[in-house]
Amino acid sequence: MSFKAISRQLMLPFALLLTATPGAHAAPPAGRLLASQCAQCHGSNGNGPGFDEIAGKSASELRKDLLEMKRRPVEGIMDRQARGYTDAQIKLIADYLAAYTRGGDN
Amino acid sequence: MHAFNRREFLRLASIAAAAAALPRTVGAAPTVAARVVVVGGGFGGASVAKYLRIWGADQVRVTLVEPSSSHVACILSNLVVTGALSMDRITLGYSALKKRGVIVEQAAVTAINYGGSTGSVSLSNGKKLAYDHLVLAPGIDFVPPPNDPQDWDPEITPHAWKAGLQTLMLKQQLAGMRNGDTFVLTVPKSPYRCPPGPYERACVVADYLKRKQRSLAKVVVLDANAGIQAEPLAFEQAFNSIYRGMIEYIPNATVSSVNSQARTIVTSAGTWSNVRVLNYIPNQRAAAIGPENGGNRGLPHLNAQGFVPVDALSYAVSGHPNVHVIGDACAVPASEGKGVPKSGHMANAEAKVCADAILRALKGEAPDSNVATGSACFSPITAKTASWLSGNFNYGDIYDAAGKVKGKGMHRVDLDEAPKINGDNYEDMFTWAEGLFADSFV
Repeated sequence: MSFKAISRQLMLPFALLLTATPGAHAAPPAGRLLASQCAQCHGSNGNGPGFDEIAGKSASELRKDLLEMKRRPVEGIMDRQARGYTDAQIKLIADYLAAYTRGGDN
Repeated sequence: MHAFNRREFLRLASIAAAAAALPRTVGAAPTVAARVVVVGGGFGGASVAKYLRIWGADQVRVTLVEPSSSHVACILSNLVVTGALSMDRITLGYSALKKRGVIVEQAAVTAINYGGSTGSVSLSNGKKLAYDHLVLAPGIDFVPPPNDPQDWDPEITPHAWKAGLQTLMLKQQLAGMRNGDTFVLTVPKSPYRCPPGPYERACVVADYLKRKQRSLAKVVVLDANAGIQAEPLAFEQAFNSIYRGMIEYIPNATVSSVNSQARTIVTSAGTWSNVRVLNYIPNQRAAAIGPENGGNRGLPHLNAQGFVPVDALSYAVSGHPNVHVIGDACAVPASEGKGVPKSGHMANAEAKVCADAILRALKGEAPDSNVATGSACFSPITAKTASWLSGNFNYGDIYDAAGKVKGKGMHRVDLDEAPKINGDNYEDMFTWAEGLFADSFV
């Protein structure tokens, strides 16, 4: 078997390595660490167990909800929690959750 | 497609072989997995093990060392004391973590070698685990009373501040109270585990006694601090109104001795003798690792209060970049008077920051500095109502008492309690606990 033939056989797993998951040297997606602080109350994948599902929503919807909670008078605990993040952090969290979570993916 | 040279071929072949040998691990690093040893299986230890595996996959070989076969959560444990919940509701096992590939060693730590790149952890089962990174999440130990410490025996007067048999002992003692009896509870000097917890316990104990037609019984709260340490509006309302005449709150009560046999406690605010239940919750410090008599009780460093100072971005200990301490045992740099609370929720938050920092360090990267942590909790006030507490911290400048910047750390950006004690909060409490239990242990 020639090198070329072997290397062609190797292409499939190699392609998977590049595309299926972030490789060993890829930086974690922006917002992942900040968004992980939602998981205590909304589930590790954003859809429970816990309070309202935050997985599978659009970034604009999440951002709008979080900014609204941050600015309205406090009633529930989430109105307080939203005050713990800068507007820039809220954008990162919303963008990450929209890109990396799916509704129903528990 | 270009032709591969021999070196590239060998590299690719080893990747492919690794991928073929471990079908689940397609995408894993083609290098040997880094060894991370986690000591302590509470909320911090379980969460860091879980998130290292979620985010690091097979780049990390994670071993969790814990002597018990399960963790009994302190969260909701006051409701086990009153009989509202059973122990199984707060008992959390490690089977889900094992399914995530965490290796669980049910053993105690006998010694730790903080030897930099050659560090290792020795276990009671004879094993010795070498580590690239070590995460210590040992929780708390109790500081005995200063005078006649040999007279204090928590097997007679339970603290029930580490949940488990202690919780059941306190439950049994409460159930044995008669009308007119006295239940004395102490609040430790801050910082201690779960700031609202002792006040919450006073409330649910008083509620229990009321419901059992023992309204002449008294609950005495002896606080080592100058005032209520958390949710002052809720607990003042509880002490002054809901349980008026039943709960007596006494601040600035520094404990000097406890005689468990005589159920007597001597404090700077007076002596209580031969009470029916003495729930002495002692002052706290980071739990010892390995032998109690080792230097620093087996921990790499301790501050004056007995906790381990850490870096706020990596939770690493000064001088030991690959040794991290999270949860109740650590002291996070914070603004004066705005300390990071010791709670299961906060331990989970710190675990994620620590896991992310370890995975970055393994790639030679600095930790992320865009870091936030927080704690949220619900406190039952009666058998049907609760309050809540929310606190948030963001990495950046931290301030001394005069408002001057003293360095970098986790600055408290928000803290407050529920505007009302109500029944919705009581229902939400179980949703919150279920979520936190799952995010940490499942």
